[in-house]
Amino acid sequence: MLEEKDFELLDESSNNVNEVVDDEPITKDDFVLTQVDSTVHEQKFQTKPTTFLKDSLKRFSKNKSSVVAAYILGALLILSFAVPAFNKSDTKHPKPHETFLAPKLFKAGTGFWDGTTKYTNIAVDISGKPDAKTEEEKQEYWWPSSDKFPQRSAISKKKFTEEKYSNDISTLGSFGKEGYVQFGYYEDRAQGDNVEFSSKAIASLDLNENLYLTSFDTYDVEKINLMEEKKDLTAPDNYEIGESAFYFIYSELNTETNEKEEKEVKLVDYAVKHNIGSSVASLKEDKLDIAKIVKDETGKTVFEDARFAVRMIAKHNGNNVCALIRSIAFETGSTNETTQAIFDNMSFNDATSAVAKSINNGYEYWSSTGVRRIYLSKAHFCSFVYDTYEAVFGLRVIDGEYVSDLLTYQEKGWVSFKDKDGWDTIWKDDMGYWIDEFNFTCEILDPVNCPLAKPLTIDDFYGYDVPGTLGVKMTVINYKYMGYTSVPSYLMGTDKSGKDMFKYVFEGLRTSLLLGFLTFAVCFTFGLLWGSICGYFGGTVDLVMERFTDILAGIPWIVVMTLIILHFKSTFWTFALALCLTGWIGTAARTRTQFYRFRGREYVLASRTLGASDARLIAKHILPNALGTIITGAVLMIPSVIFSEATISYLGLGLQNMSSLGVILSDNQKELLTNPYLLIFPSVVIALIMISFNLFGNGLRDAINPSLKGED
Amino acid sequence: MLKYSLKRVILALITAFIILTLTFFLVKSLPQTRVISPDENVRYAFYMNQYDLGYVTYFTKTAVEVETTGFIPEVTPLDQVKIGTDYYYFYTKPIVEQYFSWLGNIVTRWDWGTSTVIEPNASAMLIILQRLPASMSVNIVSVVISVPLGIALGILAGLKKNTWVDHTISTLVMVFISIPSFVVISFLIYLLAFKSGWLPTMWPTPDQSLRTKILAFIIPVMSLSFGSICGYTRFVRAELCEVMSSEYLLLARTKGLTKNQAIVRHALRNAFVPILPSILAEFIGIFGGSMILESLYGIPGIGNLYIQALNAKDYNVLMVDMAIFTTVGLLAGIILDLSYGFIDPRIRMGEKK
Repeated sequence: MLEEKDFELLDESSNNVNEVVDDEPITKDDFVLTQVDSTVHEQKFQTKPTTFLKDSLKRFSKNKSSVVAAYILGALLILSFAVPAFNKSDTKHPKPHETFLAPKLFKAGTGFWDGTTKYTNIAVDISGKPDAKTEEEKQEYWWPSSDKFPQRSAISKKKFTEEKYSNDISTLGSFGKEGYVQFGYYEDRAQGDNVEFSSKAIASLDLNENLYLTSFDTYDVEKINLMEEKKDLTAPDNYEIGESAFYFIYSELNTETNEKEEKEVKLVDYAVKHNIGSSVASLKEDKLDIAKIVKDETGKTVFEDARFAVRMIAKHNGNNVCALIRSIAFETGSTNETTQAIFDNMSFNDATSAVAKSINNGYEYWSSTGVRRIYLSKAHFCSFVYDTYEAVFGLRVIDGEYVSDLLTYQEKGWVSFKDKDGWDTIWKDDMGYWIDEFNFTCEILDPVNCPLAKPLTIDDFYGYDVPGTLGVKMTVINYKYMGYTSVPSYLMGTDKSGKDMFKYVFEGLRTSLLLGFLTFAVCFTFGLLWGSICGYFGGTVDLVMERFTDILAGIPWIVVMTLIILHFKSTFWTFALALCLTGWIGTAARTRTQFYRFRGREYVLASRTLGASDARLIAKHILPNALGTIITGAVLMIPSVIFSEATISYLGLGLQNMSSLGVILSDNQKELLTNPYLLIFPSVVIALIMISFNLFGNGLRDAINPSLKGED
Repeated sequence: MLKYSLKRVILALITAFIILTLTFFLVKSLPQTRVISPDENVRYAFYMNQYDLGYVTYFTKTAVEVETTGFIPEVTPLDQVKIGTDYYYFYTKPIVEQYFSWLGNIVTRWDWGTSTVIEPNASAMLIILQRLPASMSVNIVSVVISVPLGIALGILAGLKKNTWVDHTISTLVMVFISIPSFVVISFLIYLLAFKSGWLPTMWPTPDQSLRTKILAFIIPVMSLSFGSICGYTRFVRAELCEVMSSEYLLLARTKGLTKNQAIVRHALRNAFVPILPSILAEFIGIFGGSMILESLYGIPGIGNLYIQALNAKDYNVLMVDMAIFTTVGLLAGIILDLSYGFIDPRIRMGEKK
């Protein structure tokens, strides 16, 4: 065991302690340069110092598609504010004359985007010149059947096709030839106007007063000439109404009393006679009874080929024939008991109103509860190009009490109605407008501004004998008459109320973007706060707050929006509120994750040890590191807000009294078939903004956070 | 794992319960619509049913009493009906009372409410169930087509990374994922149905031919699939790219596996770990319905019903529809989370390390 004496004090025992002490200080001369060289090798970096942002920008600009997207985005942003600010078109008030103008960028006649619309196979009325001999002569007087074409001069490049048959009631209604008017039973397709005729038998009437019974299944047409066969058909007077197939009433002028008398024609068991049906419907007065059920050979109940054609009134009055079908003819091939249900469900509530009348060479209709259409009517068809701008802004004949307009033009110095002595030939007093019919002169002084196409003569005026009724029929150049200095040109056309779509779409884009940015700002701020509290403090606070967001995130956003909008009106602020209500969850979750990631880092710990407060730690250390990722994630909120807004508009809850992309798209949805351009432009804009935002957002994320590259 | 699953399911049930409660109060505090039926008997039957279910109260007066005294109730009733010689005045109960009746009815007789406008006096749940097949059939076809196609394209893009194939696929994916579905639907209908006439412009009615019925699937399935295909393509490509640059794949190649062997046995199997759960979740999604698609194409599904109920102000039906959408969403979330754990033994979510 060691004892104290075993140890020696080192200082005492070692005698050479003082020997190593050198009191002389080290001087400069003691140092020798190991390498003698004139140049200093420690150099500044040749490369420029870079910051995080500059570095990100460099990475971003390498991503070509994102750069392009950024430019497109910028352009759309500028346009969405510049177009509504600088475009003077009125999108607030309806302009009933300028509806559905086609988009126009190039001059008319270019063939593309030139304000014209191509129409193919439009039925045309060539009856305007009855004495025309040649085909060419007839065609000069043709006219498109629809009222969609108010200006003949706007039609160009017309190309006739041959006469052909068509079933189109809307175009052939007034002038189709040789057709039949059909009365049929149709099944209402509930949605849309997609009415289809079922293949039931139809009674129809044509120009030559022939009654047709048509079996649609086979397209067999049975024909009775009312006038010819009338005599035979009147024969069996004792026929029971309840068993008659057709029952006509026609009026004849009683020569003795000089009064019209209604006479009845019963088409006795026509169906049986012509072997087109085995059973006949029964009709007692206005009520359609259940069909007469026939027993076949085996005694089974059948409805096979039963015909219900009843009570037709044929009024013979000159060349007009009127068939009144009190009920509707149809047949059924069904042989089971459910047919009964079909009859029960058919509504002939007031079939008396199903009336067809042939007048001269056309058909005319009254409103009807039954369904009628022209069947196989013959007409000329034509394809042509229609210049919608020419039609609206070109020459127009106006007729009426427009004399006050003329005086206004005179006041403006565009036109003069003074005679050579300087006296007014048109003037106004308490009684109304007056005209000097003997000395009337008209001189157009300013042909550039004056709406009158040619000087007026006294023949254009009428009603100058009676005070207050002076009228004029004049040809005006319509755009000048409407107050334009030149023919307006709408880049994206106009919609059903005459709104300039170019301005309207960008106004809508502005609203959508504003909504997007507002929601982004609110959600980002709130989400950041929420997420940082969750992520920074953790523990119970985090748990409770997380459960809350879990529940909120569990509600589909569409449900949230529906409920909010139902409770408040669909205004801009309601939309913003509804979108913000669930929009912040994503940002909050992202912030929370980032905070979890950074809060345990060494530099945070160091700062905390030095006594930094929570606020300082968050603001100075954690947030700057996390912000990049959080922002890039949140940028994608803007396109999703635009998408949500549009979706809600489609549900019928869109913004009211305000245009947004969603409102424009959903409002014009029904124009898809007739005027697709109304949907194309807003669709392109919304698609463009979504694609650019997504590309831009992805590029931004890759640039700021390169480690996430490739992830989506 | 079992504990976690249970916890997750119970939490979802609680969430669903809270959401449904919130929805109930929010919907019931809206101005309620009366039953739109001119037939007093229908209305009477409806209100009496509502009375039995505990949503309304009523009192009666005889016609003689009403007509002689000119009786007008102090508080305007929700509706008044004259049946026989009696006037019935119906009032809604306070919302809280209605809420407990509603809960009771759901638990005891699975009665989620009664339709007021769409099919007066019919069970809302029944209406939903009638509409479900149409939505589901379209969704099933869409999932069956889009999942394999999306995965195939994703694998193609991932394996041919940074070649023209990848660039083309990625660009198309970006474009189609960005274009809103309603734009796609509109132009599909316009081009494929209206312009060319190849496909029906509307969802066919039951009596139309089988050919029409089959053709009618094309537009809805296409418009549903585009987004889905793009989503899967992007997902699969990203996963595959990550796996392809991993060290174990390098090891596999070093061990002497051919490229194909390495891809099939190692890369794909690992890439599919996060993809499979989302496919499972997608299958839950078939119970939902796409509102805009169904309304534009006239599909009588539950998405269309949502819009119909909304516009007709049939709030009971709307509420059940909302419940369906919520449930589907929550269920998909659960499946997604739980299947992660089942598929990949490395992931044990929620368990302490």
